[in-house]
Amino acid sequence: MSTVRTNNILDASGGNTATINSMTPTADSLQGQRNRIINGAMMIDQRNAGAAITVNSTGTFFPVDRFFGSGQATDGVFTLQQSSTAPSGFVNSVIATVTTADASIGATQFYLFNQYIEGTNVADLAWGTASAKTVTLSFWVRSSLTGTFGGVISNSAQNRSYPFTYTISAANTYEYKTVTIAGDTSGTWLTTTGIGIRLHFDLGVGSTYRGTAGSWAGATYLGATGATNVIGTLNATWYITGVQLEVGSVATPFERIDYGRELQLCLRYYQNSFNVGNQPGVSTSLSDAIHLLSWGDGNCSGFPFQIPMRAAPTVTLRAQGSTTAGQVSSGGTDRSATATNIGAKQVSFIAVTSGTANTYTRFTWEAASEL
Amino acid sequence: MFCVIVNLNGNSNIPFDPANTDYAEFKKAVTAGAELQDASGNVMTAQAAKAFIGTLP
Repeated sequence: MSTVRTNNILDASGGNTATINSMTPTADSLQGQRNRIINGAMMIDQRNAGAAITVNSTGTFFPVDRFFGSGQATDGVFTLQQSSTAPSGFVNSVIATVTTADASIGATQFYLFNQYIEGTNVADLAWGTASAKTVTLSFWVRSSLTGTFGGVISNSAQNRSYPFTYTISAANTYEYKTVTIAGDTSGTWLTTTGIGIRLHFDLGVGSTYRGTAGSWAGATYLGATGATNVIGTLNATWYITGVQLEVGSVATPFERIDYGRELQLCLRYYQNSFNVGNQPGVSTSLSDAIHLLSWGDGNCSGFPFQIPMRAAPTVTLRAQGSTTAGQVSSGGTDRSATATNIGAKQVSFIAVTSGTANTYTRFTWEAASEL
Repeated sequence: MFCVIVNLNGNSNIPFDPANTDYAEFKKAVTAGAELQDASGNVMTAQAAKAFIGTLP
């Protein structure tokens, strides 16, 4: 063993691209909490307990926490599901499967897989200013199709968009992709609790919302010109995992976060009272519910959330052992109820229609404050 | 005063928080003329709905 003492390491040209074990250490790549994507390894699924969900409208459908699909109410349909088919080093992915093909996408139609990043988590990127930082997106992807695929990064107002492309060379084989994007020096980029950055993966987008890859545009784009329409092929599959968005022009190895901390990050946007593995709206396990005492007027006390949420959430109540929303069990009878005066940290109280006084009120709850 | 919006499609409870995306959708819909019901389930008159919408944050 020998010891090397030096004050500086430069590359052969005297620059800052020297590598150690194939990686260039930089101030950006060495910092902790590099990944601005939450649940990039598709590990946390609080909503579905691993079950598939069907994307058949322009709404938001979450197969795992923080990532959601959106589609069309007519024409194409696809499912999303947490999967255990993953590249080496990963346990999970999300699979999209086309169940109804749309081989002729309308100009304004779109089929997407997305994550929106909160502005507070990308404020340091200084986008919209002359100091905008370069970022690099990396991910593992696999498909039954090959060719050029696309995606977009855009701002909250969707008037600044950067389409990108990536190539899948071999069918049904995981491939690692990186995309480096110069920070946008124009437009308005929120640094609040609103949407900071929209990340879209294009599974099929009409011509109105597709733009040329590789440059910023003052337009609403959801996909890249020329990209493969996954939705156009019945039974086509598309998997993704290891999604990372980080500062700098180098894609560093995926930043692994233990399950507990990843779950904590997800709870800011969605949480519930259900046991892990029990699906809200499906499970009737008695241990999913909480019991609170009702007051003399039949209403009952509220409850604090597990951690403070991004904003006051939308709350769904169900009576213990029931899958019917909008009710609680009061004195042993399922009655209409509403979570009242909801804040980002708690529900103030539960208003129960004809609630029984001074007895147990039993219910499960979900709270969502997604972007 | 009890403050909550009940989404009749799913029976979820939406807070009066402009940062909540469901609330933003609700406000967009009612501003565009979607039907509103009061706490008793009665459809609001156009005048009452307009007055209510005027109080929304």
